[in-house]
Amino acid sequence: MPRQASQTVLDVVTYIQRALDATLAYRFACRVGMCGSCAMTVNGVARWTCRTHIDKAVKNENQIEIAPLRNLPVVRDLVTDMREFFDKWARAKGQFRGTRSRNDDFPALKPDTPARVQIDAGIECIGCAVCYSACDVVSWNPDYLGPAALNRAWTLVKDERDSRRTERLRAVAGDAGCHSCHTHMSCTERCPKGISPTAGIAGLKREIASALLGGKL
Amino acid sequence: MTFRAQSLLWVAQRASAAVLALCVTVHLATMVYAIRGGLSAAEILSRTRGSVAWFAFYALFVLAVTVHAPIGLRPVLGEWLGWRGRSRDAFLLVVAMILAGLGMRAVFGMFL
Repeated sequence: MPRQASQTVLDVVTYIQRALDATLAYRFACRVGMCGSCAMTVNGVARWTCRTHIDKAVKNENQIEIAPLRNLPVVRDLVTDMREFFDKWARAKGQFRGTRSRNDDFPALKPDTPARVQIDAGIECIGCAVCYSACDVVSWNPDYLGPAALNRAWTLVKDERDSRRTERLRAVAGDAGCHSCHTHMSCTERCPKGISPTAGIAGLKREIASALLGGKL
Repeated sequence: MTFRAQSLLWVAQRASAAVLALCVTVHLATMVYAIRGGLSAAEILSRTRGSVAWFAFYALFVLAVTVHAPIGLRPVLGEWLGWRGRSRDAFLLVVAMILAGLGMRAVFGMFL
């Protein structure tokens, strides 16, 4: 493998496919850290390969281990089946459903309210599944919705425009939901966007507890 | 088990943890104090026997353990052994009863 300046792990995978083994299957799109589709396991750690310099990833003796994302079925080589990952977003009621129609005016949202600040901290998720792959609870409990779906639910629970708050809290409560999180914080550690799903999950636990004790769940 | 019951378990786990933090601190401080003061077992029992305050404190301690430990064991059984469903919860109910029984036996031994 010829080494080049600023070479990324994705560059290496691409080189392998083009020069060494044309049958190698892998997934990528933007190559600049916007789409999240090139996430793989590099030396045992889930990361975006396009944003991982080979200089930092290489271990001893110029060796590197590249594998598909953990916790997802492998379609072929480095390509994983993401269906379960996104199905869990749907199960966590990850779809926004507002209370207004197209005939209504736009709602005025202040950017500095506590709820909006919390939403902003979690809204930049692009669904790369790095957190899902890094989460041990997903490995132990296949029904667990996972950090990304719960983070998405959290941003909607805090959204004053959304109409399905109670329904969503019900969907993310219990053994398959936020209450299974052990706060290991692997998701927070690994998220390439700097999001803390752990904080959102803790927030969901608080919201569910107060809704439960208030008889609103 | 419904999601409400599962959520309630989480609340009970947190609440019992708060009680345990207090109980364990008081218990350890009392033990260190009693041992350093050179009190014998008989002298300790002479202070605890008939004491409603110590009985109430340790009964609360046992209650908190009875609630806390089985709820904590629940995900361990699920995640490490793959044991889920009603049989697991029935087993944990038995564990809770054993903890409560052994704990209250000790509390009564100290009180009566």
